[in-house]
Amino acid sequence: VRLGLWPSLLTSVVSALAYNYFFTEPYHTFTISDPKDVIAVVFFAVVAVIVSNVAAQARIRLLGAMERSRTTESLYAFSRKLAGAGTIDDVLWATAHQIAAMLKVRVVLLLPENGSIAVKAGYPPEDRLDEADLAAAKWAWAKNRPAGRDSDALPGAKWLFFPMRTGRGQIGILGICRDEPGPLLRAEQRRLLDALSDQGALAIERVHLVEDIERVRRVAETDRLRSALLTSISHDLKTPLAAILGSAGALRDLSHSFDDNAKADLLATIVDESERLNRFIANLLDMTRLEAGAVVPNAALHDVGEIVGSALERASKILARHRVEVEISPDLPMVNVDAVLFEQVLFNLLDNAAKYAPAETTVRIQSWQEQDSVKLQVLDEGEGIPAADLERIFDKFYRARKGDQVRAGTGLGLAISRGFIEALHGTITAANRTDRTGAAFTITLSIPKAAVQEVAA
Amino acid sequence: MSSAGVKILVVDDEPPIRKLLRMGLTSQGYEVLEASNGKVALELLAKKPALVILDLGLPDIDGHDLLSRIRSREENLPIIVLSSRGDEAGKVAALDLGADDYVTKPFGMDELFARMRAAMRHQLQVHGERPVFHVGDLSVDLVRRIVKVGDREVRLSPKEYDLLRLLVQHAGKVLTHRFLIQELWDEPTDPQYLRVYVRQLRQKIEADPERPQYIMTEIGIGYRMRAPD
Repeated sequence: VRLGLWPSLLTSVVSALAYNYFFTEPYHTFTISDPKDVIAVVFFAVVAVIVSNVAAQARIRLLGAMERSRTTESLYAFSRKLAGAGTIDDVLWATAHQIAAMLKVRVVLLLPENGSIAVKAGYPPEDRLDEADLAAAKWAWAKNRPAGRDSDALPGAKWLFFPMRTGRGQIGILGICRDEPGPLLRAEQRRLLDALSDQGALAIERVHLVEDIERVRRVAETDRLRSALLTSISHDLKTPLAAILGSAGALRDLSHSFDDNAKADLLATIVDESERLNRFIANLLDMTRLEAGAVVPNAALHDVGEIVGSALERASKILARHRVEVEISPDLPMVNVDAVLFEQVLFNLLDNAAKYAPAETTVRIQSWQEQDSVKLQVLDEGEGIPAADLERIFDKFYRARKGDQVRAGTGLGLAISRGFIEALHGTITAANRTDRTGAAFTITLSIPKAAVQEVAA
Repeated sequence: MSSAGVKILVVDDEPPIRKLLRMGLTSQGYEVLEASNGKVALELLAKKPALVILDLGLPDIDGHDLLSRIRSREENLPIIVLSSRGDEAGKVAALDLGADDYVTKPFGMDELFARMRAAMRHQLQVHGERPVFHVGDLSVDLVRRIVKVGDREVRLSPKEYDLLRLLVQHAGKVLTHRFLIQELWDEPTDPQYLRVYVRQLRQKIEADPERPQYIMTEIGIGYRMRAPD
């Protein structure tokens, strides 16, 4: 009964003949002499045929149910796979693969591009259609109707193309092909293809929508940044410029009315404000490089202490009124960083500490190993960071609220620091100190495998 | 060292920078030759300047090209390039092409004068080193190979001493990682070994190795020994 109708019918006939051969007189012939035996043989044969038929029907129903359940399972697995696919390529590949596997056909998917359509995915991977097939695909796209092999339109093509649609309209074109001649799809396969195609179309549409939303968000973000940038530039460029121009003009025009101290003071203002302007422009350039994707780290193994020393040297003027403590574990391994970028990050953190922690307080730099990573912290003794701002201070142009006497930062230093540290595959976080008030910035870098500790003399 | 009558060739296309350099250099007694482009710069070499200040960004010729052309005509002429922050690769390339040092724009006059002094001092010294080098508490006797910090004699390994000697012989000048590695090792060597030696040397001669006073780090470029007092 497991083998279907024809094998069971055959068994019935063989059984009837065997009965005839072995159990009716004359034995060992297929002739029957007793009319009762004829009735018996016919009766057996009829019963056998009926039973075969019932069994075969049951088997067909069972197979059908199993097939449907497998199809349902596959469709369910497919929809889950699509839901997890993040990019258009993932969605297209999953769709092509699924259709190819379930219908034993070759598959191509075409999406609109530059006013026409182009092959975007295929399974087995294949990017090219010949002229006739491409013409059929384009016809299907233009008319929103199936075209090509087995269809009414352009049946000379080797491939059969269907529009992929969602409630919002046509999304793309699905093409199938098999090397063997003959009809490509039976009716129930066609229904399955429609189901798969619909699911694929919805997933493609979803990805498109997400991309649209992302694009709109980026445009809005860019606008917000542009206006913040303008505000920031007009403030950060103009304030030092005003001080420089004013001081220089006063020295030129009113020189006779100043004593030597006043002159020295004005000159110091010119130098200090020029340096501030220089730092701001450097920040703008760094930010521009980051945003343009032009930051390509030139990573090599470096000594943390050396880079800290260099950053401290460059920040010495900014930190002139603070105490500085450095504690670096003596056996700290080297880290794999771009020294220029990493030094800039440290400089920005020191600059930040100098701005937000009052004069005469201590700025502390400590670095140590923790499992497979090197930690570096810059700690200050300022007021700390409001909890709500701990993440936002890394946003471009975000400036923590502060007292009047504190100089405004550029709102770029920490954003650049995070950008650079991420380019070095590390992390940077902000927190408040637990031992006292003050901010704590922590950089975490993983330890490279090939670092040398000491070398033989 | 008197700078009276010593000629300095300034190559920069920006008139305000040339003016600033002219005023600053003249105030120190130097005679200034000015070139706003590479062509004029090459012509002015005939006037035998004692040092060239070269901006790498020129309108008519690539700064690095001009640098090699000057170097090919005047092997020992000190050249200091003006460069911008963030262009470490450009600075290293200039130093490898034979520039003696660089100054990052914007720069202070005192910094430029210090670089010029170091470059010209080294040129005068090429054929006769001072036997004992002093800077701060550090003294290095290049003849007897004795290194002292204050009164304390410092024991260095041969490699550490070679590194220190190189830095001292070029005191005030930046030395690139590549130059130091070439001088210290016979085969190509990973720069991290150089960094390890620098760290060990600093631990022996610096009061606070994290805030060095003698061996200065030029991030992305190399090292510089502080010029003698």
